[in-house]
Amino acid sequence: MAFGAAYWLGWLLLGKRAGGSTALAREFDDLGVGALRLIGGASVLVGLIATFQLAFQLQHYGAESLSGRVIGWFAAREIGPLVVALIVVTRSASAIAGELAAMTATAEIDAMRAMGIDPVKYLVAPKLGALLVALPALTIVSDGLITFGGWIASTLFLRSDTLYYLGEVRSAFALRDFGIGLGKSVLFAGVIAVVAADEGLNTGRHVGAIGEATSRAVVFCLLGVLAADTFVNAVFYFIPGLAS
Amino acid sequence: MLDVHGLTGPAEHPFIRDVDLRVAHGDTVVVLGAIHSGKSLLIRHLLGLEAAARGTVAVDGASVDAARATDADWKRVRRRVGVVFESSALLRHITVIENVELPLVEHAGTGPDDARRAARALLHEVGVDVDDDAAPADLTRAEQRHVALARAVALEPRVVLLDEPTAGLDAHASHQLDDAVDRLQAARGFAVVVFSHDVRHAFRPAAEIAVMSDGRIIARGVRDELLASDDPVVHRLMHRRKEP
Repeated sequence: MAFGAAYWLGWLLLGKRAGGSTALAREFDDLGVGALRLIGGASVLVGLIATFQLAFQLQHYGAESLSGRVIGWFAAREIGPLVVALIVVTRSASAIAGELAAMTATAEIDAMRAMGIDPVKYLVAPKLGALLVALPALTIVSDGLITFGGWIASTLFLRSDTLYYLGEVRSAFALRDFGIGLGKSVLFAGVIAVVAADEGLNTGRHVGAIGEATSRAVVFCLLGVLAADTFVNAVFYFIPGLAS
Repeated sequence: MLDVHGLTGPAEHPFIRDVDLRVAHGDTVVVLGAIHSGKSLLIRHLLGLEAAARGTVAVDGASVDAARATDADWKRVRRRVGVVFESSALLRHITVIENVELPLVEHAGTGPDDARRAARALLHEVGVDVDDDAAPADLTRAEQRHVALARAVALEPRVVLLDEPTAGLDAHASHQLDDAVDRLQAARGFAVVVFSHDVRHAFRPAAEIAVMSDGRIIARGVRDELLASDDPVVHRLMHRRKEP
């Protein structure tokens, strides 16, 4: 499934046949742009929560003003990509699996195969392509809004100075961490698209199977994203020279 | 034209057993069976959508060993077969006209403008008057069935399989669909296999009838022969319309 989707994604992007870019744009609008407000709101709240938690822990050492530094580092490398991935899983993995499972139940997938048309090419590859673009883009938005949430918490509630907060964020922010965060979001996009599509396509041909497929898709996508994140973190922790 | 021999499946737990079916060029065969007698499963086996245990399927010179055939082998068979599923199985995410265009663009290498013209001509030929850009879900069931018929004959198939073609249609709509099939068959010369529980199909003129029960073809013949049968299953199916 993963290789097939990647192959057909290349075909869609590089092929001269009309329709590929339209399908990609439609999926990007649905899976990416459609998630923007939800991710925006969640990111600001996560920034607030993280800042309160960090300040609470750091105040024992009189260092709550350093929470901006932690936010600057942790948002780009870890929280941003993870918040985006988890929200896309809950919002879109179930939708992808549900759509494909419904198409399986109503014989649309059979009709495609009967016409000699690969469902992975027409249905999965555009979703994979859209998520591969949307997740990094949403992660950039999320990184910014988590920092914004941290600023609200620091200045309005913790009486910190705006310039000081921004200086702390800037001193901790590294392009390398930002790049690692974006790399993770690309990996998460692949996991979500492939796992959700696989659950949707390989399901029973009855209406009850749709709910089962969506539930399984959300659970396995969540586990897949967390496992991929753990793997990346372990690689950077255990391989000398990568961590810093 | 269509020659099926000893078809048995699914591979793991066979329900369809030793099905032989032969339909000549331009002929019509009605596979008559009650709900859950295996008609839809047989269609899936004829198209290679289920793994068979044994048997052969041949359509217009393209022959496959159903148990060993690869997807590429089945594609040669599917290219010669058109199918209208009971649910119509129009792809939900594209318009009516795009559904009919899809096989033309995918397999016949038809350009977008020519495919659009050909699709419009097909819709006109099957006698359905719907908005090209309508979503399949906005059509009535009868209209969906007509559009599915137009899509099924788009690639000039040698055999057309109709799964419960008039299920859920009133008498007038059923009659219109039967007329459309007869018209297309007369003009294009394809063979038709109607899979139905509706005994009215058995009363089509010149149709051979194969009675299916529990995954087997238990009787075959023309209408009058089967009306006189003393087999209880055949008798019940053939005289169903006389029951209250």
